[in-house]
Amino acid sequence: MTKGILMFAHNNTEIDYLRMAVVNAMLIKKHLGVDVTIVTDQHSYDYVALTMSDSQISSCVDNIIINHKDKDFKRTNSKVYRDTVNLQKSLSFYNLDRADAYDISPYDETIMIDADYLILGNTLNSCWGNKNPLMMNYTWQDINFNRKFDLDRLSVASITQYWATVVYFKKSEYAQSFFTLCKNVRKNYGYYKNLYRWAGGTFRNDYVFSVAAHMLDGLTDKALPELPFKLFKSFDYDDIHSVISTHEILMYLEKHDSPGEFLLSKWSNLDLHVMNKWAINRAAQDFMELIT
Amino acid sequence: MSEKLSQALEFANYRATLNNQRAILRARVESLLSYSIDGGTFTIDPGLISFVKTLSDSGLETTVLLDIYQNPIQVQVEEFLTEILSRYTEATNDYHAEYVKLSKARSVSKLLDITDD
Repeated sequence: MTKGILMFAHNNTEIDYLRMAVVNAMLIKKHLGVDVTIVTDQHSYDYVALTMSDSQISSCVDNIIINHKDKDFKRTNSKVYRDTVNLQKSLSFYNLDRADAYDISPYDETIMIDADYLILGNTLNSCWGNKNPLMMNYTWQDINFNRKFDLDRLSVASITQYWATVVYFKKSEYAQSFFTLCKNVRKNYGYYKNLYRWAGGTFRNDYVFSVAAHMLDGLTDKALPELPFKLFKSFDYDDIHSVISTHEILMYLEKHDSPGEFLLSKWSNLDLHVMNKWAINRAAQDFMELIT
Repeated sequence: MSEKLSQALEFANYRATLNNQRAILRARVESLLSYSIDGGTFTIDPGLISFVKTLSDSGLETTVLLDIYQNPIQVQVEEFLTEILSRYTEATNDYHAEYVKLSKARSVSKLLDITDD
């Protein structure tokens, strides 16, 4: 059985997703020791070549797959990115191809992760060989344990929200059906948006995957098994203070009752979804120096 | 700001950091107490250890346990017991050592092992 990590990385005018994914691939090689495939586009690939050498990329990425971008989607899909409370920008967000992961993945067993899900330990290795053909988390934990965000459902009157941040799947009829449903939801996004009553105009894979999960098991909530670990998150109001080692970072976490004020926190050995993309790009060089 | 108020705010900040670091430590220990084998995942706790010890004492060589997903997983009893005991001991010892270290730290910089500059 072949196994590997799959990431999607499409840059916009400010965020270098591909550089983020390559740095994460370095961490994956160090902590997990498995193959890595990155799906990107020609523009992102050309841009990363300005700051990273071929040998740096090929030392940690086993396959780079170049996908063509849907130009209409690229032009219309955007979201608000934040770099703490100090910066807020609406930028293009290209995330259309994640529903194709099943067809794209060259592996029998795949863990698809966001490029900003930093691999700081070997937790993901506990997934390989699992009896469940498909796993995703709906429970999650903010690493500022005092803070509460209401992100548990697509909307108050809707279904439980699964997070497409980390998805384990193995080549199987079950997983294939799941991704077929994902593609159907993607194609009819407006219809499902009305049916499942979520707000906002941004195309989100969390919603697509949640609806597919709900449909796959006969319209049952929380039917899809979760990953055998918690999904830890920091938010875009937070920042990375410094990189201590390849498995340890110091974080600025915004205080729950004082916007713009931070709690320092040390985070180690557990993978972390860092939503502040600028923070990861700032820390990328430090990670690279520690690894190489 | 008076010196007393400044000290109280500094202490509040220290307490908030301490509480968060303790929560992070608990999360790390929980992760260490998760054990995956043969397609199953188990949470190692005293209940699991006692049950597997009972199976071991009754002379069973192999058995089927239900994992966190309620999937049936066949395990070698002695091997499994040795592994979960070892992991449990290691994780709780680490937890104790780190917990004591946090309890003794009396400033934010000491809690996080960083210098003040």
